[in-house]
Amino acid sequence: MNDMPMISELAMVVEDDEDLAAIFTEALRKANYQVETVRDGLSAQRRIIQIEPHLVVLDMHIPYVSGGEILQQIRADVRLKRTTVVIATADARMGEMYTDIADFVLIKPITFTQLRDLVNRLHRI
Amino acid sequence: MFEKFRSYLRVTSPDPEDARRRNLLNIIVVGSFASSVIGILILGFGLIAKQWTFSQASFLLFFFVIFICLVLIIFFINRQWGNAAAYIFLAILTVGYAFSDTAANISNGSSVFFFAFAIVLASLLIHPLMSFAIAAIGCGIIAWANNLAAPGTSPNFVVMIGFFMLALVSWLASRSLVQALKDLRGINANLDHLVQERTQELANSLTRERIEAGRSHAILESIADGVIVFDVNGSAIIANPSSTRLLDLPNEKLVGASVDDLSQSAPLDAEGRNVLTGLLTKPGEQPNNAHIAWGKKTLSVTSALVNDSEKANIGTVAVFRDYTQEAEVERMKDTFLAIVSHELRTPLNAILGYAEMIKEAIYGPVNEKQVRASDRIMTNSHRLLDIVSDLLDQGQMEAGKLALHVRPFRPADLIENVHGVMDKIAEDKSLALTSELDPAMPKFIHGDIARLQQILVNLINNAVKFTEKGSIHMSLKSKDAQTWLLEVNDTGIGIPEEEISTIFEAFRQVDSTATRKYGGFGLGLSIVKQLTELMQGHVFVTSKLGEGSCFTVSLPMVMAEQGEH
Repeated sequence: MNDMPMISELAMVVEDDEDLAAIFTEALRKANYQVETVRDGLSAQRRIIQIEPHLVVLDMHIPYVSGGEILQQIRADVRLKRTTVVIATADARMGEMYTDIADFVLIKPITFTQLRDLVNRLHRI
Repeated sequence: MFEKFRSYLRVTSPDPEDARRRNLLNIIVVGSFASSVIGILILGFGLIAKQWTFSQASFLLFFFVIFICLVLIIFFINRQWGNAAAYIFLAILTVGYAFSDTAANISNGSSVFFFAFAIVLASLLIHPLMSFAIAAIGCGIIAWANNLAAPGTSPNFVVMIGFFMLALVSWLASRSLVQALKDLRGINANLDHLVQERTQELANSLTRERIEAGRSHAILESIADGVIVFDVNGSAIIANPSSTRLLDLPNEKLVGASVDDLSQSAPLDAEGRNVLTGLLTKPGEQPNNAHIAWGKKTLSVTSALVNDSEKANIGTVAVFRDYTQEAEVERMKDTFLAIVSHELRTPLNAILGYAEMIKEAIYGPVNEKQVRASDRIMTNSHRLLDIVSDLLDQGQMEAGKLALHVRPFRPADLIENVHGVMDKIAEDKSLALTSELDPAMPKFIHGDIARLQQILVNLINNAVKFTEKGSIHMSLKSKDAQTWLLEVNDTGIGIPEEEISTIFEAFRQVDSTATRKYGGFGLGLSIVKQLTELMQGHVFVTSKLGEGSCFTVSLPMVMAEQGEH
């Protein structure tokens, strides 16, 4: 815990399932992130142009706008070129499709400690 | 008129021999009638020309008239009663004539020959042997006449012997005639019978053929499958009603259409068009039962060459079956699997997450018992997730949709990962899980590490399930330059020999009651086998009841450079 930055950085969780959103959010908080949580694609799209998150945990199956489109939008935005994207999906085939564009692909079930430990390491990158 | 007259003269009888005799008598009677009429006419001319006086002619005239009357009576008797007429006729000939000339002429003179006529006719008209009876009567008459003409002298024996010689010849000739006619009639009857038989056979086979053809036609007309038959030139010659219904094309458009016409007028995309053309032009070369999207329908299409009895190709038959519902079910199954995959994993993921957060004391301090409870929740959630994954994998493999992600990996990592997942599970049952990595194994090899891990996890899970005490040992070995082996040994209950061939089938456990005792769906080994085969490998098992089993997976070795990683 000693090598963590003093000012917590901003992370965004895009996940439609209430419980998973809560678990992911808690894991990121434990990794010393300030977390903003949205539950659908449209909200994510609107919010991502206003903030500059260091990390986005992105579900693929979300209402209104797909995770894939959000990912494209982030990658197309110069402002967000330092943003790390972690895809969280239950569909292994879909995860496979995005390995080159996303920074990490996690296949559900994603456990609390798994996500916490992964993002803890990200601080050091 | 002439025909009517002829048919009036003809006598019919059920006995052909009787008919022949009576017809012969008829001819003689008609001949006698005609000659008597001619005789009367000649007498008439003689009287008119004053050659004869009436007293000279009256006797002959009287004789002719009597004779005509007798002949007519015989003719009607012959028609009505048959054989009696022949006896009367012969009696008139022989006895009647005996009184028509002088005794001297009859016994020794010009009238002797007359009996020859009666002898021959008797054998022909009544019976071959009858000639002898007439010969005897003739002999009696000339003996009687001789006694009247020249009493005391001996009768003309030479003539008598002559009568019997003639009777003998008549008898022989007549008998052989009767026999020949009988044979001929027999042959004819036989021939008739044969002709009748052949005709019946022909009629039967024609009827059979018509029934067969009718039956085939009826089947073709009523089956639900569409059947189109193409001739050798590739144009449709038969299209049953189901084909017009299934293909949404009128019969007039189908019959006579070429393969190209058909695929052009069909509501198909480019791929469907290619598949259909391939099936219809090169039957047997394309995989049969191809599923083609036909407008809003899905059709399953099968084709085959039609060969005649000499094995010569006479065309192609194509069978179309409505596959719309099955295709819909397959699509729904895929959707269902995708939903199950997402909807089951998500809540399980939440359970796991919260249990872990409790254990990690996110919600405040926890005691040892609470940590253990959280552990149990997590272990069981993982088990449930594994079952869901197995079901999904099984579904994907059955549909041929499971793809491998082959990358270079370290065999040491594989062993380490498996230990990470399985140590706890073995430990819970107080079993030792040991491992061994053959030093001959390369540092890096190509493969899908996640699926290889799944194979080992399934095999070890199976071993744990069926082992009560002892140990489970896994090893990675290099067999030769082309093959490497994954082995899992246990000290469990073993597998009966007769069950070994079926343990890799889905949803099967050695003892069906074992499902309750040992839990699980019996999918683990089926997935191992299917994954192994997907990796071009083989899985086999050796086992001894009560001592344990050894599962071996052999896989092709593809070495990798470290740098690729």
